[in-house]
Amino acid sequence: MPLDGDTDRSRRDVLKAAVALGGASALSACLDRTADDPVPTGDPNDKPARQYAWREYVRHDDHGNTQLPSHQILLYLTLDADGPPSADQRDALAETFDALDRAYAWSHEGLLHSIAYSPAYFGRFDAPLPDSVDLPEPTALSPFESPTFDRQDALLHLASDRPDALLEADRALRGERDAANGVSIPSLPLTVDSRRTGFVGAGLPAQHQDAAGIPDSNPVPEASPLFMGFEAGFRGNQATEDYVTIDDGPFAGGTTKVVANLRQRLDDWYEEQTHEERVMEMFSPGHAAEGLVEGTGDSLGSDSDIDRFVDDLEADAREYGRVGHAQKAARANRDADGNVRLLRRHFESTDDIGSDQRVASLHFPSLQRRISEFEAVRRAMNGTDLTEVTPAVRQRVNNGILEYIFVRRRGNFLVPPRRHRVLPAPRPE
Amino acid sequence: MKRRALLRAGALAGSLSLAGCSSLVETRTVGVPPIPEDRPNGIYHPSHVEGMAMAGTATSGDYAVGLFYSYPHRFWNVNGGDTSLTDIESDDAVHLMASVWDPETETVLPETGLSLEISRDGSLVSQEAIYPMLSQPMGFHYGANFGLEGDGTYAVRLSVGAVSTRRTGAFADRFADPATVEIPFEYSEAAKNEISFERFDDEAATPGAVDPMSMEMLPDAFAPLESNLPGTVLGSGTSNDARLVVTALESVPAGVDGDGTYLAVSARTRYNRMVIPAMGLSGTLTRDGETVYDGAFDRTLDPDIGYHYGAVVDGVESGDALTLSVGVQPQTARHEGYETAFGGLMGGMPDVTVPVP
Repeated sequence: MPLDGDTDRSRRDVLKAAVALGGASALSACLDRTADDPVPTGDPNDKPARQYAWREYVRHDDHGNTQLPSHQILLYLTLDADGPPSADQRDALAETFDALDRAYAWSHEGLLHSIAYSPAYFGRFDAPLPDSVDLPEPTALSPFESPTFDRQDALLHLASDRPDALLEADRALRGERDAANGVSIPSLPLTVDSRRTGFVGAGLPAQHQDAAGIPDSNPVPEASPLFMGFEAGFRGNQATEDYVTIDDGPFAGGTTKVVANLRQRLDDWYEEQTHEERVMEMFSPGHAAEGLVEGTGDSLGSDSDIDRFVDDLEADAREYGRVGHAQKAARANRDADGNVRLLRRHFESTDDIGSDQRVASLHFPSLQRRISEFEAVRRAMNGTDLTEVTPAVRQRVNNGILEYIFVRRRGNFLVPPRRHRVLPAPRPE
Repeated sequence: MKRRALLRAGALAGSLSLAGCSSLVETRTVGVPPIPEDRPNGIYHPSHVEGMAMAGTATSGDYAVGLFYSYPHRFWNVNGGDTSLTDIESDDAVHLMASVWDPETETVLPETGLSLEISRDGSLVSQEAIYPMLSQPMGFHYGANFGLEGDGTYAVRLSVGAVSTRRTGAFADRFADPATVEIPFEYSEAAKNEISFERFDDEAATPGAVDPMSMEMLPDAFAPLESNLPGTVLGSGTSNDARLVVTALESVPAGVDGDGTYLAVSARTRYNRMVIPAMGLSGTLTRDGETVYDGAFDRTLDPDIGYHYGAVVDGVESGDALTLSVGVQPQTARHEGYETAFGGLMGGMPDVTVPVP
């Protein structure tokens, strides 16, 4: 039976709002609207060894680009006592994860979940992490940012195309209900310090462009997966899951994860600039000159072709007085053989951490073998060298997209392989 | 005899009641004279000048920061060779200005980058990376127009970026990190409307400038007097009302690579001697028809020379000629009276040749 105004739009709206609110009434609103299709249940013995194995289990577009799960939640978790975790805590968390594995298929239609641990968590132990793991404390990575660092013990990342599945799992984990998808779930034996939510994919950003930070003219195209109006994460410009995997030591089969939260201020991005100028700042002036990016960038196919424009940076700075975001970052995002080093999985949000306001922001998880690889790419994105080439490229202006993004949080984590996902010691057996 | 019409906001009260309380700002802009016609190709006397009031100052790390406000302003934004008008928008309540200086030497610091986050009762009102600007009364500062949510107490967090130019001497190891300060801003429409607003009917659009203002708590943004520049002043020239003063130092300041003579170009506005930062400058030194240096003059901040453009050359001899060429006009937004100068709206900053005496 059709609900009032139950178009795709209003349905998506309600579901996204439900994920953000996370309450019981939100869940029931959510369930009312999606109850037709059962959420697939899972088998604990049928899960990939890597917690971040998403590529084979999510949707792809016509070009083979990954379509990230539409709805995502980040739970930042702390252990209540000092020192290493207890055997009881380990048993309890193992039980929770086993139950979650039974409740949901490992799929975008079920639930993808991974837990990661911070340097502060490993600091609870006397033994250091092995050299095969590069996991420093988070740090400021530009000459103009002063983020708050997320130093909680652990980060549990939940993702699904089914907001009802996501929300039920989230509520069960937080102890607000006993079961999820028909399976009894013991609540997490850790405290939720911060709960952050988000969404990604065509339609959702357009639906939520009433958030602060986006001009009133509703500039975000319906086709855009992100607030800034362009596609991102083309297959050819992403590291593979194999590439970001730590290949030796006790955490072989794991990876490192940096998660930043950025506030977006898109008034000038949309109101002071043409599409062509946005293409220059997001990709490169060459992309604009060659007309490579139509609309949101579907015309780019499976590769933004950014490698072709990296060597133009200084010449572009001189000729156009501006440089592109992707162009700057790409120069540090390739290894000696030309492989991409980072696997970016960013998604949008209207969370304003620390307030109840709806403000456009971006959760930016990036996976890489070593945290230092992320840091190098982020520093390349600052374009500090290009401000020396011409005063037209300034610290944050005409310098990619730095004018429009404000980093508020950053945390570094280790995503252990599935076999060590439960409160691991620095050198697990 | 010159006639100055001093208008305070009270003089406009008659139209306020007509406009209704939701559009006070528009009423204010009605009082702003139009952009003068027949502006010269250079610095000119603006049609009007607004005063400003201080919200507060704060210090963190290497930086002192002052926050000031006034009526919303029109200004001209500069990007590369382009100079374009940013007009007052209907929801703009104030023009916020920030100045950053070194609390030890009271040197105003251009090219730090600056962003502002305005909140009220923990709720975000606005956040922007704001424009570096040049105005006749204030010289270099950062500014932008902002909308507010009525009278009340706002918290303004100002994030200062590291200085992005080369730094020399005692500044070589400073201003490398960002800093953030928070300054409370008590805003009331009525208090804002007490800020002076001066119109100039006869002088508008004539060559010249309004006087620099002085404000306790705020160091001035003057370039050093020629007589106070270190080294030997070789001479000066003017390019579209940017005065370029050249001095030669026998030793190269710490923080600059190379040996030889250090040529420093101190750029300042005609009339008010305000520092002109963020140009792309190069120079050619010739001797007996031979080129002995041809290259960049790098943007540099030095405690003695101030903000300048510097290059290391093998030496300078009497009879040499230094030709300075501005490839990129000063990348600062301009308040009225400066948008036609330093390359601005009419474009073009002619080369300057300084013969070495």
